[in-house]
Amino acid sequence: MFFLCSGNHAAHLCDTSRNMNDRISRIIIVGGGSAGWLTAGVIAAEHCIDSQAQQPFELLLIESPDVPTIGVGEGTWPSMRSTLQRIGLSETDFIRECDASFKQGTYFRNWHTGSGDTYSHPFTVPIGYADTNLAPHWLELTDAPQFADAVTPQTALFADCLAPKQITTPEYAFLVNYAYHLDAGKFAELLRRHCTEQLGVKHIKANVSQINSAENGDIQSVTTDSAGEIAGDLFIDCTGTSSLLLGEHFKIPFQSRQATLFNDTALAAQVPYTEEDQAIQSCTHSTAQTAGWIWDIGLPTRRGTGHVYSSAHISEDEATAQLLAYIKETAGDKAAAGVVPRKIPFQPGHRREFWHRNCVAIGMSSGFIEPLEASALVMIELAAGMIAEQLPPTRDVMDIVAKRYNQKFLRHWNQIIEFLKLHYVLSARDDSPYWQDNRAATSIPERLSEQLSLWRFRSPWHQDAGAVDDLFPTASYQYILYGMGFSTAPRHTASHHQDQRQRQASELFKKNAARAAQLTKALPSNRELLNKVREFGFQKL
Amino acid sequence: MSQYEVLNKDKHRQLRIKTGYSAALGDAVMYAMTYPMEFRDIQSCYPILFTKDPNTGVFFAAAVLGFEADQNLFLQDNSWDASYIPAVIRRQPFLIATGGDGDNQAPVVSLDLDHPRVSQDEGEALFDAEGGATEFLNQKIALLDQLHHGLQHSSGFIDTLLQHELLEQITFDIAFNDGSKESVQGFYSIAEERLYQLKGDVLESLNRAGYLQPVFMAVASISRMRNIIERRNRLRV
Repeated sequence: MFFLCSGNHAAHLCDTSRNMNDRISRIIIVGGGSAGWLTAGVIAAEHCIDSQAQQPFELLLIESPDVPTIGVGEGTWPSMRSTLQRIGLSETDFIRECDASFKQGTYFRNWHTGSGDTYSHPFTVPIGYADTNLAPHWLELTDAPQFADAVTPQTALFADCLAPKQITTPEYAFLVNYAYHLDAGKFAELLRRHCTEQLGVKHIKANVSQINSAENGDIQSVTTDSAGEIAGDLFIDCTGTSSLLLGEHFKIPFQSRQATLFNDTALAAQVPYTEEDQAIQSCTHSTAQTAGWIWDIGLPTRRGTGHVYSSAHISEDEATAQLLAYIKETAGDKAAAGVVPRKIPFQPGHRREFWHRNCVAIGMSSGFIEPLEASALVMIELAAGMIAEQLPPTRDVMDIVAKRYNQKFLRHWNQIIEFLKLHYVLSARDDSPYWQDNRAATSIPERLSEQLSLWRFRSPWHQDAGAVDDLFPTASYQYILYGMGFSTAPRHTASHHQDQRQRQASELFKKNAARAAQLTKALPSNRELLNKVREFGFQKL
Repeated sequence: MSQYEVLNKDKHRQLRIKTGYSAALGDAVMYAMTYPMEFRDIQSCYPILFTKDPNTGVFFAAAVLGFEADQNLFLQDNSWDASYIPAVIRRQPFLIATGGDGDNQAPVVSLDLDHPRVSQDEGEALFDAEGGATEFLNQKIALLDQLHHGLQHSSGFIDTLLQHELLEQITFDIAFNDGSKESVQGFYSIAEERLYQLKGDVLESLNRAGYLQPVFMAVASISRMRNIIERRNRLRV
């Protein structure tokens, strides 16, 4: 930097911590947790900021030493596998240190009629999905197995709590697609260590006390209680629901989506296993209640459960009683006796804008909705991935990236909200105002209503995808629709290819059944495989 | 099933061990585990590939003997048609068990009483009339000792290969003369391109640990694939 200070412009160049032009040379992440550290990891791994010679920018994470990490169990999407790989973490370390288990989808109970009905939303798309739409063929079958069971071998693994791979399968590879259940507190801790020790992220433990504006309205710096003033070119707000930078400082309004998704309170509780080697479920269990639903996540050491509900439709006492009844039913009186649920109120919705000036919010600072399809972590991965890939090199072009980012993430939020609403709209439950209100036309987003009207006549397939990076592929819509008894009429026109397609479909159904039988024989239980991972680890190849 | 017991001169005084090689004696195996100290001998007859233990996922080196489960192309007329027979085959039905706890893990000679080689009346005796070990048993014990050291050395060898990313997956798609095809999967070989890019200090450390020579033995051994393909072709004609 010495040469910059020689010459006529020395004073101008040296009076600022910024670089000589408007190059982005310092990125500040405010807030740790899984949002902050995952973002730091993805950006750092993409840009070799650990390189002394070619460091493109500094990456600092300011974390409050006073905010405790909360060890809630969380579900991820399969995308987490490539995210972890991208960051350079070994899957063995990740599983061992984050108390992780394998998640292959969601298993829904009592969502349709409320009288013991079940269906699955697995992570594997229907067999032959690229070329053949099995949904119309399945609809014609009499005596058919459930939709997911007919079109993917994955759900056959759920009953016996089987794993998605073997100990000989290389890390991150699979026999059937999978994601994870993990302890979010331990996950943030592992990411913190990896980011600071391997990836060159600088960690500052301090509380942000003030946000300082530049003349143009950008954030110039943040003042901290113990690390002085910290300047930066791009600020990433990972401060959780307080949304210190985007919400409090920039006053970007919060857009409530409660008119569509009513749930605004969660009661979380950890449940011990009753036996040491009790089976670990292959998927998240989601059991509908009278005014919400209960999640149930199996980690190796314990289960994480919680009741998400609409406080307008049920009292806290009643919601607690339903959660305790569920725990009693699934873990016995003794386990239920020791449970004290933790209450987490939340506002379903998101900020109007996510990237404003030189500040972008990721994680709960940008928005939050019920974890029905575990969309929180995947949204962080997507946000961090886009920032890492599209990182504006200068302040000049940042506004263009910001505009595109805002469009994209508004689309993501809308799709998540519509997709979650689909679960409620399709329910035939009539046992409480909650379910009736959920079907009120005024509560249903317009695009979802339109889709449902169309899908009465043909099943969703490739043309129904909005964009290549849609969060929920069309296959997911099929799983929910036909899992919940939605009926699509047969085609109203005949096809020249009818016979050929029919043959292909019945071959695929047979192939699927054979594959399911083969996999159930070959795959170990989750518990067995996780024990082996602890002892031997996965190989890298 | 297997029934392992620590060898005991009183309990096992009368046992005899059948010699020779045949499917009936348990030799119809697709591959035999090997270790770097044995690679020079192995590569004179067999391809050396790497595969994973199905129970642990841990890599080990193997002398390939056939193309499908239970197929050993070197077994002919109750003999083993090769100038060198892998040590893990020759040591049957004996094995090393590590007795004691903690650091005090003294290796002890054990055997599988359910192994088809174990007999009451046929084959080589283990103990003489006075209860002393026979020459046959002494030879087996020496072999087990060799094997034990070889396998210990092997685990460091495998770790080093993985550390330098010197293994890569290899699939053989073979069309035999009789028109049948076989796709041999689940095996790994030395990643030659990476091997040839290793720098001086890495090569020196490999050499010092006794790993460099076996790496090249394993590379050379791939040519023996032709040998077993020919054996397989002869089999079906």
